[in-house]
Amino acid sequence: MSVLTFERKQDGELWSETELHTLLTALNAALGSGDGRGWETGMTEKGDLQFYLLGPLPDQACQLCVSRIGRRYILEDGAGRLLFEHQSLPLVALHAKAAVSSRRWSLVARIALLWCTVRHTIHDKVEPLLIESEEIFLHLAPKLAVFA
Amino acid sequence: MKRAKPQEGPDGTLQRTAVPEARQLRKQAGDWLKQRRADAGLSQVALAERLGMKYYTFISQVENGFSRVPTEAMEAWAIQLGLEPSEFAKHLLLYYEPELYRLLFGKKK
Repeated sequence: MSVLTFERKQDGELWSETELHTLLTALNAALGSGDGRGWETGMTEKGDLQFYLLGPLPDQACQLCVSRIGRRYILEDGAGRLLFEHQSLPLVALHAKAAVSSRRWSLVARIALLWCTVRHTIHDKVEPLLIESEEIFLHLAPKLAVFA
Repeated sequence: MKRAKPQEGPDGTLQRTAVPEARQLRKQAGDWLKQRRADAGLSQVALAERLGMKYYTFISQVENGFSRVPTEAMEAWAIQLGLEPSEFAKHLLLYYEPELYRLLFGKKK
């Protein structure tokens, strides 16, 4: 398996305020639990940014890590398991929220998450295809009409 | 491996300053792993590739001291770094479980 690398964002030395706000808002419940959980930021050898959600004291081991590689956000757990990856940080943050509060999340919330993921996937992949098909149809329709 | 300067949250809060011992030890383990990787002439990407990972970000997570090398992956890491797996695991135990290391081997670092 080859490791995926991406073109780096040109404007990114640090996480933007918006990005941090998105992550911290999603993880607010876990961070506010009062057991010493926290978060930190770091960087890979190549300069890709990482956001770590730390577990409770005294260990404060990484529970979740969101990395930004190019325009893609990678969500992994503390053991390196790839949980989710997407270009949309709010969607990745939603998955991070689900991962830290999995025991408390109801079935309804999980279905909502699945729905959001499907919607984003449709938006990202299927919609461009539909638009392209529509354009081709609009282009060919007058020509076909001549033969009719 | 780089570590970013502590970043402020949108609400102006900074991350906590006191670093518990377990975290310091994990960081020392990360530094040791980084050195072993450098000795093996591998980048984080190259090591991840050899370990069959899709992304190299977990290597950074471990070297930055936020995560451990999973027990089930220690042998593969050791082999890729050109180290003897039992010595590799024993050395990491010194950082990850110092009390267990003391009980097993009779001394702390």
